[in-house]
Amino acid sequence: MAEEEETIRPEFPITRVKKIMKVDKDINKINSEALHLVTYSTELFLRFLAEKSSVVAAEKKRKTVNLDHLRTAVKRHQPTREFLLDSLPLPSAQPVRVTKTVSDKKPPPVGTRRIDAFFSKGKAKVDSP
Amino acid sequence: MADTPSSPGGGESGGSVREQDRYLPIANISRIMKRALPPNGKIGKDAKDTVQECVSEFISFVTSEASDRCQKEKRKTVNGEDLLWAMTTLGFEDYLEPLKLYLARYREVSFVYSFSAFKLSC
Repeated sequence: MAEEEETIRPEFPITRVKKIMKVDKDINKINSEALHLVTYSTELFLRFLAEKSSVVAAEKKRKTVNLDHLRTAVKRHQPTREFLLDSLPLPSAQPVRVTKTVSDKKPPPVGTRRIDAFFSKGKAKVDSP
Repeated sequence: MADTPSSPGGGESGGSVREQDRYLPIANISRIMKRALPPNGKIGKDAKDTVQECVSEFISFVTSEASDRCQKEKRKTVNGEDLLWAMTTLGFEDYLEPLKLYLARYREVSFVYSFSAFKLSC
């Protein structure tokens, strides 16, 4: 009897699966078969995500699966992409390289005479010191 | 199995679900993922946490589809057939065969249990 039960023993706590299903207030009653099938299909889906993400990580020569690998794996499977892609955290932002541009020059301190003003013939006023 | 209907109205006060009840335990998730990876493979924490959320999304997604079919047929209880139908409709027909095998096995075991219970009661 125990061996037979082994073949269908769920990998996840059934009560928790049921709670998650019931977050949706439209869900009324669920029979035991449906509950077990949801639990088992969730296991299949999880294995699928892990396998496919692992493949992406290997392609990028990484041993540790990260979010980007997961995202790529999701994108590659159309049915999964349709319901899951929008739920994934946004891709990590590229580090912002702050570079000083010429236009960001600070205005010279008050009272400073600009040397180019000195050299322009009669066009600019030379401030008295 | 008989199930109590969820409370109508869905008030915030009494019906809110605890955060941890919205997700499957991370330990179970971690264990199953590890089996699917190569021997020296690892999963980063961010990825693992996100997968935990993805899995709950999957549950909600398929349940909703199964429930729609159930309601269309004017039934109140979501059953196994609704689930199998939802899998196919949503593009997870690859799961159909393993699920059918699982269901057959589940029914066998349930029958054996109920038969044993019947025998004991005689």
